[in-house]
Amino acid sequence: MRLSALLCAGRLRLPAGYRHGTWRPGTAAAQLRNPPGLRRRKIFVEPIAREDWKVFRGDTVQVLTGKDAGKQAMVTQVVRARNWVVVEGLNTHYRYVNRTTKYAGTYIASEAPLLLNQISLVDPEDRKPTEVEWRYTEEGERVRVSLRSGRIIPLPLRQRWDGIVPEQWIDGPKDTTVEDALDKTYLPSLKTFEEEIMDAMGIVETRRAKKSYWY
Amino acid sequence: MAAAVAMAALCRRFTAALRLSGARPGSTLAGLPGLRLNLFHKNLAKAEPLHQLKFLHTTLSRKGLEEFFDDPRNWGEKTVKSGDAWNIKQLRGKSSEDLHKLWYVLLKEKNMLLTLEQESKRQLKPMPSPERLEKVEKSMKNIDLVVKEREIALRLLQTGHEKPVPGEWRHDFLGRTYWYSYKEWPIPWYLNKKYKRRKFYYLPHVDRFIRLRLEKSLRIKARRQNLERTRQKVLERKFPHLAVKSQSQ
Repeated sequence: MRLSALLCAGRLRLPAGYRHGTWRPGTAAAQLRNPPGLRRRKIFVEPIAREDWKVFRGDTVQVLTGKDAGKQAMVTQVVRARNWVVVEGLNTHYRYVNRTTKYAGTYIASEAPLLLNQISLVDPEDRKPTEVEWRYTEEGERVRVSLRSGRIIPLPLRQRWDGIVPEQWIDGPKDTTVEDALDKTYLPSLKTFEEEIMDAMGIVETRRAKKSYWY
Repeated sequence: MAAAVAMAALCRRFTAALRLSGARPGSTLAGLPGLRLNLFHKNLAKAEPLHQLKFLHTTLSRKGLEEFFDDPRNWGEKTVKSGDAWNIKQLRGKSSEDLHKLWYVLLKEKNMLLTLEQESKRQLKPMPSPERLEKVEKSMKNIDLVVKEREIALRLLQTGHEKPVPGEWRHDFLGRTYWYSYKEWPIPWYLNKKYKRRKFYYLPHVDRFIRLRLEKSLRIKARRQNLERTRQKVLERKFPHLAVKSQSQ
């Protein structure tokens, strides 16, 4: 158990003064804007614990301040390192993309990120902004509860990274069925893995190891 | 000779299929009789419950080289459906025999995917469903972890040691203390010239440098703590509610 926990901590190592933007750290855009050796002024972000984070991609939020104050829309991107939330179609500015020497470029609206204090989660039935808290239901599930009405705000649906929908999955020829995968065939014994395999394959080791010294 | 010719024909058809995406080599498989049938058997065998499988020592025609390639029905496809990787929790419930067999099944699948990746690079085309490779590697890593965990548990029971190789803390010639793990040698240490040349002690003149190193590490630690304190002060100035919370705590 301990070994697995230790080895699972292999994540991307970012430099000390890395400034996060709306782009993913590994991509070409990020490398262009954050080349190695770049040192920029430090941005102070209000520290929010991992468990206390309330806004997720796919949530409906209302913008409280700025140009589009009072409007509600869905969250398309969350950047936790800077407490940013990008809301679809709101807080937009206009720019040209795909510019070449001959073509002026397409004029599109691009959303600017909003801080968490400029955003508020919306009660599902009222459709009005509320304060939200993490609480536990009677079953023991951790849910977001709106403080004004006490209603539960459900978590938005998360798609799997490979695009599989577990409810609609049909096993292919190379897939193991669920029963076979969960079937427990392990019998704990005082033999090592190698010894058990040798027993199963009928290998008998008759050679004797030469004397070796450990130091 | 005939096998090599047949193999060349197979490779040519495979590359042709990758080039014309969407074109299925359905009727052209008549050139290699028995190929599709054998592969299909293989795939069925993989889907069977693992504990019912005997060890697969089927002697296939073409020297088994077709195992480096996917099911011919998937040739030319842009995406190939694949399930999830094996979870550690699922693998912990499997016997050693099952894990052993699964390892080799995954290894062959990995070889097939790597061949596919290399071929796509050669033809400058995108590899169909590269996430399959990640899933296979993740499953193999999980199997390795489960076997290591069981080995460590058994060793702890029988000897009380966690590490497979014994070792001890030793000094080097610069006065630093480090974990030296024992190595296996064919000759005892007093006959080992290479080992006797290594110095696991330090001379008295190194004491001064040990002290300097210690001072340096203390300075670095103090600098880091001061930096954290100043950063916390700046945060409390910018976000006053943090200062109130820390005071109430």
